[in-house]
Amino acid sequence: MIRVENLSKRFGEIEAVKGVTFEAPDGRITGLLGPNGAGKTTTLRMISTLVQPTTGRAMVDGVETGIDPLGVRAKLGLLSDARGLYMRLTARENIAYYGRLRGMDTPAIAASVAKLAAWLDMEALLDRRTDGFSQGERMKVAIARALVHDPRNVVLDEPTNGLDVMTTRSLREVVRRLREEGKCVLFSSHVMQEVSALCDEIVILAHGAVVAVGPPEAIREASGCTSLEDAFVKLAGAEAAEA
Amino acid sequence: MNRTLVVYAKELRDAVRDRRTLLMIVFVSIVTGPLSMLLMAQFVSSLDKKTEARKVRMVGEEFAPPLVNYLKRVDVEIEKAPADYEARVKEGSLDAVIVVRPDFYERFLAGDDSPVELVYDDSRAESQPSIAQAERLLRGFNRETGTLRLIARGVSPNLIETVKVEHVNTATPRQKGAFLFFVIPLFAILAPILGSLSMSIDATAGERERGSLEPLLGNPVPAREIVLGKWLAAWTAGSTVALLTLASFVFAATLLTGKKLATLLQFGWPELAIFMAFVVPLAGATAAFLMLVATYGRSFREAQTYTSYFVSLVSFVPVAAMFAGLKDSTWQLAVPVLGQQMIFTRVLRGEAVAPLEWLLTAGVALLAAGLCVAAISTLMSRERIVFGRS
Repeated sequence: MIRVENLSKRFGEIEAVKGVTFEAPDGRITGLLGPNGAGKTTTLRMISTLVQPTTGRAMVDGVETGIDPLGVRAKLGLLSDARGLYMRLTARENIAYYGRLRGMDTPAIAASVAKLAAWLDMEALLDRRTDGFSQGERMKVAIARALVHDPRNVVLDEPTNGLDVMTTRSLREVVRRLREEGKCVLFSSHVMQEVSALCDEIVILAHGAVVAVGPPEAIREASGCTSLEDAFVKLAGAEAAEA
Repeated sequence: MNRTLVVYAKELRDAVRDRRTLLMIVFVSIVTGPLSMLLMAQFVSSLDKKTEARKVRMVGEEFAPPLVNYLKRVDVEIEKAPADYEARVKEGSLDAVIVVRPDFYERFLAGDDSPVELVYDDSRAESQPSIAQAERLLRGFNRETGTLRLIARGVSPNLIETVKVEHVNTATPRQKGAFLFFVIPLFAILAPILGSLSMSIDATAGERERGSLEPLLGNPVPAREIVLGKWLAAWTAGSTVALLTLASFVFAATLLTGKKLATLLQFGWPELAIFMAFVVPLAGATAAFLMLVATYGRSFREAQTYTSYFVSLVSFVPVAAMFAGLKDSTWQLAVPVLGQQMIFTRVLRGEAVAPLEWLLTAGVALLAAGLCVAAISTLMSRERIVFGRS
């Protein structure tokens, strides 16, 4: 479970995140929806301890980011905004590197790689060097790398960005499977359809602040709109319509 | 510690797969160093041959019987220079030519000064011994003639020669060879830098550029352990390349068959061991410093620019030390690169090195390395570096 309380981040003059509070429960898919520049990535970076909040706190399974950052990272699987791979290593070696850094032994890593490769339909890629992989193939490796240690909580920053339909579908499949396993999944997107198709809970961010929280239906009803898209546009502002 | 080893193993594997860089390093360090030494040895032996052959080239020798007589008495072979001697000196096929004017003998008999031209081009180093030799012979002739004339007039020749210079050269054959070995200390210092350069950049600016730093730091591993692993890998690479380079110098020295040069070039396995004892700690310091500088680069290319300043600075140190005429003193030991340079020169001169000197240079180098590693660890947790906006 991920809890965020009154989280703020200021970069010089700009207040990127203003007093954000929400909760992403276990066994649910929580979507962080917002137009570009709404503060989604900064919020996720604060949850994954890579950015220090100016005020407020974030907790993962009860561990606070400011107090025990390594403990938080151990409980998280993170697909960050940057997801570069090591081009001279094979897909398997890229994934295994993170497994070893997390203290897993060789058999555990092998089992985990086999499971994730089946989920992501990437067995054929495993022993090829990632140099020359397509964007979709690279994304699959990055996701497998983020999930290699079978984390209880999964944070995915814009996972479907720039992916083709086939890869997007297999990714959605993975996210649903994580939910079935009772994991807490928090993912960000600026694509409304993406979020409405997948999420149990939605947190809409605009200009660094939360403008709506709840299940998709509840948000639509509360806004008085006939569709979720209209509700999103109304809540997040006109710029969201173009995204 | 375990996680540091994981990073270490990954960085080394990654580097070994980079064939193009590997080939470049092997070529530069293992081939060019010893090759340049062999060429220099060749050059030195040709210098020796030139001075050994006591031969002067003259134009108009028929106008100067006394000079010719003197040269023959001191056992110098006289060769008639071709008519186009000036052009030949310019193009380098002749080193020095003594030109005698037709009125030489007439003026000589009258006791006037009798001008002789010495034609040479002193811009070529390899001509220097021949020029010096011709000059020395002319001076010798001058002194002899002058002395004879003074005696003929009943004046003691000691009156004009108040100081009698006698040459006593104390340089042992090994010391004479030391200038030739200027190249070995230079390679000993530059080889570890070359060996760890691309790795240091790849592990810092490279991670930033490919966007792999952010996910890497998302692992539950303190930045310090990650940086430590990366540094140890770069250090290993630098030391390995240094060892290969120096070993190939030892190998090249065995190829020098000339008897004289073999005694000059005593760089064998014992000297190699002493060199490595000093190179390894220095390699740790230079690898750490390269990484620190490269961390500020947002891209591989940008980091390359930053590190190239450091590389030129380091390669400048031995040259500067030589031209500034720095005398060996203890404070130099505390300056990385300068200290090692001084020790290396001494080892090649066949002088002993004290354990305390090793302790001082190694201590300073490892301290510098530790400070750099600590600084990189701090930088790696800065948002500015991790997310690379500046």
